[in-house]
Amino acid sequence: MPSKHKVATTEELSDGSRVIAEIEGQEIAVFQIDGDYHAISNYCVHQAGPLCEGKLTGDMYIDDNGWDWNYDDDEKHITCPWHGWLFDVTNGENIHNSKYRVPTYGVEVEDGDIFVIR
Amino acid sequence: MGQSSETADGSPLRQLDELDVIVDTDAHIRETVEDLIPYIDDRYEGAKWIVERTEHPERDIYSLTHSLPPSLHAERGGWSADTNTVDKKLQELDEFNIDYGIVDPGLNLVLPTVNNERIAVAMMNAYNSWLLDNFLDEGNHRLKANLLVSHHKPDKSAEEIDRLANEKDVVGVALPSTGVIPPVGHERYDPIYQAASDHDLPVFFHGASTNTSHVFPLQRMYNQTYTEDHVIIHPFSQMWNLSSLIFQGAPERFPDLDFVFQESGVGWIPYLMWRMDDHYLEMNYELPLLQQMPSDYIHDQIYFTTQPLGHTEDNPKHLAMAIEMAGPDNIMYSSDLPHSDFDPPSELFNRIRSHFDRETVENIMGKTAMDLVDL
Ligand code: FES
Repeated sequence: MPSKHKVATTEELSDGSRVIAEIEGQEIAVFQIDGDYHAISNYCVHQAGPLCEGKLTGDMYIDDNGWDWNYDDDEKHITCPWHGWLFDVTNGENIHNSKYRVPTYGVEVEDGDIFVIR
Repeated sequence: MGQSSETADGSPLRQLDELDVIVDTDAHIRETVEDLIPYIDDRYEGAKWIVERTEHPERDIYSLTHSLPPSLHAERGGWSADTNTVDKKLQELDEFNIDYGIVDPGLNLVLPTVNNERIAVAMMNAYNSWLLDNFLDEGNHRLKANLLVSHHKPDKSAEEIDRLANEKDVVGVALPSTGVIPPVGHERYDPIYQAASDHDLPVFFHGASTNTSHVFPLQRMYNQTYTEDHVIIHPFSQMWNLSSLIFQGAPERFPDLDFVFQESGVGWIPYLMWRMDDHYLEMNYELPLLQQMPSDYIHDQIYFTTQPLGHTEDNPKHLAMAIEMAGPDNIMYSSDLPHSDFDPPSELFNRIRSHFDRETVENIMGKTAMDLVDL
């Protein structure tokens, strides 16, 4: 039976910031991006690095002209501080290979309090 | 692919002669400059004038040199021209019970060292005309051929592909790949890849330690023996080329084109694949050209020929395991005959026959090649 765990208040979590909480022995990060909250395990499936201590970043993509490099600054990818693997915090998927996936969790906000459902 | 020996009729292959077909995906011939001179097209009369007056064309037109002479020891090998006739080549196939040979050049593996671009184009053109006239028209259709192209002038190479791609028994395009700068992923070669793709011909890359006096991956200085040079030049060239091909997005630009890497064995493939995948996952911001893992491009579009297998006696299973790691669906037997480091079909067959199922063994020994070049 999943239960709710308070990790922060909405006031504490400004856009682009995060909190890392320990919930039942597991570290889980909650990010606020554009007003939405995303909970993801602070555990990199590559070599167990502290994934959510890294930087949030956008994504480089190739222009339709096949030549120019463009940068999409929708900064929703967490960069593992160990070897730079990038995961989309909204779904936990590695940006290059969906075979690699970090657990994500539901988030609820009630009266200015943020809860992780686990 | 499948491992172990569970097969349709319950038994692994035991004898080479149980195979339906053996294809040599790297069957060399030994053309000489004298063979080619009469085939230099009138368009290139200035180049012809120079080549036919050159006393030592192998060193003053081409820059064919070695660290030390390569073949003082061997009957086979060397650069003497005793395999420049179709009969000799067919005899070689017969000696080893090989059904088909995909013919590659000998001397013209050294084409990248030709300094003069006009002469490089003239020799490319002459080689192809000579090849068609002397080998394909006479080869009982057991000899198939790659058209030689020059990295010097990709537009002229594309014209050459257009000129001959529809000739019978032309099955691919050969781009000699040591001494090629920039390496083969650069978009300057796109006209070659476009023409090959238009004609549905795979592109074969073949290295040569003869070309290292020229450029990276090694200038030859301090490689004091042929051995020191030859041991590393083939895999280094191909590592550079494969890495360049993948990371500069050639398989993305030409999704219907297949590429074949020849003459570096198989041990380096998993190593490089691991390295490339690792970098791809780490270096997001500089690789937006790629839409999938490097190893996925390799599985989809890149093939490898097996020779030289190397000395794998100590634990014969290791070779089969290396092929399994590299991806057996993309591995094709090659002999490299008549060179002195050739592998007879039995050398590969005996290492893989009990490791893989029957179909996989048949594919590696010939059927994958048949499919790839539409035999
Ligand atoms: S542990 Fe996260 S990238 Fe290696």
